[in-house]
Amino acid sequence: MNNYFYNISGGNTRSLLPSAVAAILDGIAKVVPAALLVDIFNTIYVSFAHPETGLNIGRMWAVFVILLIWLAVEYAAYSYLYDKTYKAAYSLAASGRLGLAEHIRLLSLGFFGKRDPGDLTNLLLSDYGQVENTISHNVPQLISAIMLPVLALVGLVFMDWRMALAMFAAVPFGVLILWLTDSIQARLSAKHVQAKNEAASRLQEYLSGIREIKAHNIGGKKFERLRLSFDQLKQASIRLEGIMGPMIMGAMLLTRSGMTLMIMVGSYLLIGGTLSLPVFLLFLLIGTKIFEPLTVVLMNYGEMRYSAYSAQRIMEVKAEQPMQGTESVPSGKPIVFDQVAFGYDPQTPVLKNLSFTIKPNTITALVGPSGSGKSTITRLIARFWDIQEGSIRIGSQPINRVNPELLLADISMVFQDVYLFQDTIGNNIRIGKKEATQAEIEEAAKRACCHEFISRLPQGYDTPVGEGGSTLSGGEKQRISIARALLKDASIVLLDEATASLDPENETAVQQAINELVANKTVILIAHRLKTIQNADQILVLNHGELVEQGTHDELLAKSGLYEHLWSIQQGADGWRVK
Amino acid sequence: MNSNSEVVGLFRIVSTKKGLLIVASVFSTLSSLLQIVPFFAVFKIIEELLMHAQNAAGINKELIIHWGMWAFLALVGALIALYIGGMCSHIAAFNILYELRVRLSEHVAKVPMGYHNKTASGELKKIIEVSVEKIEKFIAHQLPDLVSAVIVPLSLLIYLFWLDWRMALVLLLPIGIGFWLQARVFGSEEGQKAYRDFQYAVEEMNATGIEYVRGMPAVKVFGITAESFLTFKQAVTRYRDISLNITNMCKTSYSLFFIIISSLFVFAVPIGILLSSGQAYNQSFAVTFILILIITPSLSAPLLKLLYLGSGLREIVEGNKRIAAVFAEEVVSEPTVPRVSSSYDVSFDQVSFAYESKDSMDFKHVLSNISFVARAGEMTALVGPSGGGKSTIANLLLRFWDVKEGQITIGDVPIREMGTERLMDTVSFVFQDVHLFYDTIEENIRMGNTAASKEEVMKAARTACCHEFIEKLEYGYDTKIDEGGTYLSGGEAQRIAIARALLKNAPVLVLDEATAYADAENERKIQQGLAELVKDKTVLIIAHRLSTIRGAEQIIVVNQGEIAERGTHEELRERNGLYEQMWRAHISAARWKLGLDDQLSRQPVAAAVVKEDMSDE
Repeated sequence: MNNYFYNISGGNTRSLLPSAVAAILDGIAKVVPAALLVDIFNTIYVSFAHPETGLNIGRMWAVFVILLIWLAVEYAAYSYLYDKTYKAAYSLAASGRLGLAEHIRLLSLGFFGKRDPGDLTNLLLSDYGQVENTISHNVPQLISAIMLPVLALVGLVFMDWRMALAMFAAVPFGVLILWLTDSIQARLSAKHVQAKNEAASRLQEYLSGIREIKAHNIGGKKFERLRLSFDQLKQASIRLEGIMGPMIMGAMLLTRSGMTLMIMVGSYLLIGGTLSLPVFLLFLLIGTKIFEPLTVVLMNYGEMRYSAYSAQRIMEVKAEQPMQGTESVPSGKPIVFDQVAFGYDPQTPVLKNLSFTIKPNTITALVGPSGSGKSTITRLIARFWDIQEGSIRIGSQPINRVNPELLLADISMVFQDVYLFQDTIGNNIRIGKKEATQAEIEEAAKRACCHEFISRLPQGYDTPVGEGGSTLSGGEKQRISIARALLKDASIVLLDEATASLDPENETAVQQAINELVANKTVILIAHRLKTIQNADQILVLNHGELVEQGTHDELLAKSGLYEHLWSIQQGADGWRVK
Repeated sequence: MNSNSEVVGLFRIVSTKKGLLIVASVFSTLSSLLQIVPFFAVFKIIEELLMHAQNAAGINKELIIHWGMWAFLALVGALIALYIGGMCSHIAAFNILYELRVRLSEHVAKVPMGYHNKTASGELKKIIEVSVEKIEKFIAHQLPDLVSAVIVPLSLLIYLFWLDWRMALVLLLPIGIGFWLQARVFGSEEGQKAYRDFQYAVEEMNATGIEYVRGMPAVKVFGITAESFLTFKQAVTRYRDISLNITNMCKTSYSLFFIIISSLFVFAVPIGILLSSGQAYNQSFAVTFILILIITPSLSAPLLKLLYLGSGLREIVEGNKRIAAVFAEEVVSEPTVPRVSSSYDVSFDQVSFAYESKDSMDFKHVLSNISFVARAGEMTALVGPSGGGKSTIANLLLRFWDVKEGQITIGDVPIREMGTERLMDTVSFVFQDVHLFYDTIEENIRMGNTAASKEEVMKAARTACCHEFIEKLEYGYDTKIDEGGTYLSGGEAQRIAIARALLKNAPVLVLDEATAYADAENERKIQQGLAELVKDKTVLIIAHRLSTIRGAEQIIVVNQGEIAERGTHEELRERNGLYEQMWRAHISAARWKLGLDDQLSRQPVAAAVVKEDMSDE
């Protein structure tokens, strides 16, 4: 249970304390009206037991006045609790969401490879929503509701322990049912949350790929995977209700049967003469008051168990180790790959025993058939993944000891698949340098040859970009990402097929922009057009994850190896033909 | 279809489960009524005890046990009824959610692409996921609760009126206040606005959260912290603030409702005292007084379930507006009798197009007056500066948008009259940015033709030059693609998409920069493989590498939404217009070498140099 509160509070159990205290106060506040009600009964009882004294009207009025005043106290306690719990719940969820988002950013991209991205967004959104609900509703309701029965039990034991025992005897059995069914509940809730997340992920996939779905006419029910996930969610939901229902009902039945048990025992004891009538009356009266809150406790406990799985999922991700490293990046030092081996999945190595050195302010080209590991090398330099064997160093500093954020601050990347955020074009460029002025942004855009088309848009730099940049052409996105990189002005530049999807008119211009970007930088680039890399200081030829040749263009041609082969193929590409 | 009729449509879905919901309400009410019995039983026992307050010996033990048993039996009955009612309403609710979700996802696949380009997928996802989910709460809980919250207090009050009308009357007051408070939460202008904002906040948080995760490589490269990823931070903070704002707004109403309803007996006390004081020895009145004090909690219980009724209803109503708005999006129209085309020339006849409607601020013609015919058995290339409208032309052929002016026909049938199904069977399409689905590679290729055998899938893969790399993967064709194709390079993903299109083997093939990411060797192989396949097909190709489309029978140069030139490569070069300019730019770009600020490349290239370069392209 301790663990549970640790989980739902995202590790900050203390933050739950104010609402717990408020709930206790609220619970205690509810005891007074019950006590006053007993007093009214007692007054009436006295008038029955001793008709000669009559009904004590004055006392009843006094009780009524206290009741009225107490309504105000109850109101105050309730709204205090309300304030505390909602504030705690929403603040916890907000800081938890931001904290988790920040945490996953620090994880290696390998972590993202293992998980469905839809699943991660579910963590940020719906799982925290579940936790939010538990903290705002279930926990305070449970605490507040349990106060009256607990205090009543304590008081009643002193009045008559036999009657108190009868009244509460079945409660432990009710709790026992819940306790025994914990594992069933855990399994069903896990299945349900999984079904929910699966449906959310499939929905995400469906909506992201809606264009292909339209183009292949496989929308709606024909996209079986989505329909199936909705269907399974339905079934898991019904199963959760259907199976857990009887368990909860059973627990409720046992708990509430205490009333009947107490009545039976009471009547025997009364007849036997060991129970006084007023005490029996008192128990009956209290009995009408405590079982309702106990039911509330059981219901909320059930719901809390459901959200335990969400909390557990969140904490599992929080337990993932962020990438380590605190050192800074040595400047003006070579990048060294020393017997590097790596695979996204350790069983299938992508790079094997790779060693080479990239001198500062030189251009290194990576060449090789597709799947030979070129892109992987650029990702490893950026430390998106940590390698399994060997070492990658900058100067003498292994990059796994470098603070990943400092390392990335030194690197600009222009990739073939550009991701733009759903923000304005101006802000998408500004990502390169947060404090950049509008003038700097426009300057970078001009150098990247995108100023012109941006200015032509009705809203210019304030034009919002669709999700993932969907409203711009590939070439336009590419140039915006170059502008971004120009603005960042990092000393290491990684280019992965940066000009693959540009139209001819812009290609020349973008090439100039790239030339500006790479001036006096350490450049590692991947290009399929071998012609573009003729001037590279060093060409690394890769095949099946191994370095097969290395040298300048002329040296490699002279070798008549793989490079020469690739080069000669390119001379022959002759374009599309239908006939 | 207007939004009203779709709200009606929504209720139609709900009413398909009318039977279950009626049963649910009956049992829910029955359960609530049975739950009164134990209170009544206690009252009967107390009455018996009071009557013998002076002489305990006269107490009828049988009677006490009798009522104790009744309390228990009623409890069992109440719980069984609760379970039956709950299951009925939950089964109804979950089925309704399922049907709504399927219908919504079906619908969004039918609306024009324009809708998806301007709507974040996170927003739609939230509607299908969360807004629909909220309906569950209403159908499964609040609807039966509402029914029992009306019937039970009503029948109890009638009973109390019969016992003593004055005390019953007093109880009406707090109950009335309670309902009024709920109505206030539901109906207030301020509340409506707050819940609308709330919906927006949730949608925004979804959209930005999804984006943050999807854009993770960029997030990492640019050191964007969660704190500085402003859109997400703002969305999360706004969600928190709006939620707190709403809770603040409801605070007084909630607290009052809760306190008043759970303290109903307090209101009965003064009347009880007043009425008693005149008749101090009237024991039967005192008994009634006690009954009322004991039984009011069971009046409170069903009413307290309505605590979140007002706000919950408001939330659902706002969510339903979103759902209705999605349904109200017009779908791509379907002909009543689809026409079948027997020939496959694609023709654009005076087509003009704008993404925005004429009265919109952003109105701008993307295409004006485009006319051309792409003949079957020929390759037609669309070239031109980026943003010139090439991709739009291709997208219009799939009816991702409908043209307002002019007509697009395949054979002699306007594409509007073909029906989506037939049109999609006729055209296969390879997009520039490929989307692969979270499934095996084999299934991703098979999407092109679900009836294809494994052999056929592999044959298509071979032609598209992806068989080799697929075989090299540990699980081969059974490799699951991560969402977005994480581990495949752009070129590999493109080749899978080409295989998919090949498998479909439709008479019209559209390639939009389909080999942009392919390396030279693969591009050449793909071109060779395709050459066989596209022999009798209508091929429409968009490519920026002009050398790849040099052999096209027809090259259409699109510039600023208009056709600037058309002809074969040789004809266009002779014309010395835009195409010739682009060709020269292409040649000089091909001569570009990284890292050298080569002055030559900026100057007009001498014809002799062009010739030389052409030969080694």
